[in-house]
Amino acid sequence: MRGGGAPTGPYELGWMCDAGMSAPRDDDGDVADELYRGFGNCFRRTRKGVELRLPRWEGTLLTELVRLMDGMLEPPPVDDPLEALVGLRDTAPPPPDDPALARLLPDPYPEDPLASGDFRRRRTDDALAHKRAAAHRVLATVPAPGEVLLLDDEAAQDWLTTLNDLRLVLGTRLGITDERYFDELGELTPDDERLPVIQMYELLTALVDNLIRALY
Amino acid sequence: MAAGTGSVAGPGPVVADFRVWPVPDGKRSVECVTIGTVTATTVSPADIEEIDEALSDDRPWVTVVWNDPINLMSYVAYVFQKLFGYDRATARKLMLDVHHKGRASVSSGTRDEMERDAARLHTYGLWATVRQD
Repeated sequence: MRGGGAPTGPYELGWMCDAGMSAPRDDDGDVADELYRGFGNCFRRTRKGVELRLPRWEGTLLTELVRLMDGMLEPPPVDDPLEALVGLRDTAPPPPDDPALARLLPDPYPEDPLASGDFRRRRTDDALAHKRAAAHRVLATVPAPGEVLLLDDEAAQDWLTTLNDLRLVLGTRLGITDERYFDELGELTPDDERLPVIQMYELLTALVDNLIRALY
Repeated sequence: MAAGTGSVAGPGPVVADFRVWPVPDGKRSVECVTIGTVTATTVSPADIEEIDEALSDDRPWVTVVWNDPINLMSYVAYVFQKLFGYDRATARKLMLDVHHKGRASVSSGTRDEMERDAARLHTYGLWATVRQD
């Protein structure tokens, strides 16, 4: 794993690798070719809305990834029993320990800890609930191979934000902190443990790009 | 400042941290964020001065979006159009500012409005912060 960007906490790179192994390999073991084939056209603009087709195993992989992300989006515990009882938060939850979760919930006042804590107290629960609700609507509608899902604008936004949040989580796990990171990718050996994660990341990149084109 | 944070000291430890922000009709709202334990409270003229200073600063607040290596350029431009109603050319210009200059101010207004804008941008996974111009 790369220095500096190594993931910490309960969401080790490993679970992503496990998820990646569910992608079938070509005879020559090349997952990348398999991943890129046919991703130019998953989302398509039609008169009725945006259509989504996931030709093979992509729906299974996405379901697995969205479920894992959903597990990260649990609201932080409310320490005070009375606050927990009435469902209100009087004290700010601490900033997220997990860098991927921190990336999903940026600190709007990096130079003002007081304002930052107050923002978390007022907004963290809603922000997480919003992301989870979108993720759950996506999970409920992932089309099986051969099915066509018709997305209205609201559903398209759910898919867009959820796919993009997944990219942010995987990108943070991979330690992508600047654009030069991608120069390294050409030098990866086939047994590099990041490889399956990078392939999932690139799949999500293709899907987000594809959906943006369909939405314009 | 029209909005901001500060603290008022007692004779010993900090008595109160406060937040100030503008509300309609040119008024200001002051909220106590934390209160320390004190037995006697005195507010000195210097404290009054500090609060007055806090109240008289009415520079606008802005929402700033920062460059990051993960979000796609097409995605960022799309989000600017979608959330703020910018035309395609303006959204693209703001996106390129983020990309080349490292950040861009994408909206301005009251502190509350900017917090709402930042929260909406966070929903879309953009790295947004709020600050006084």
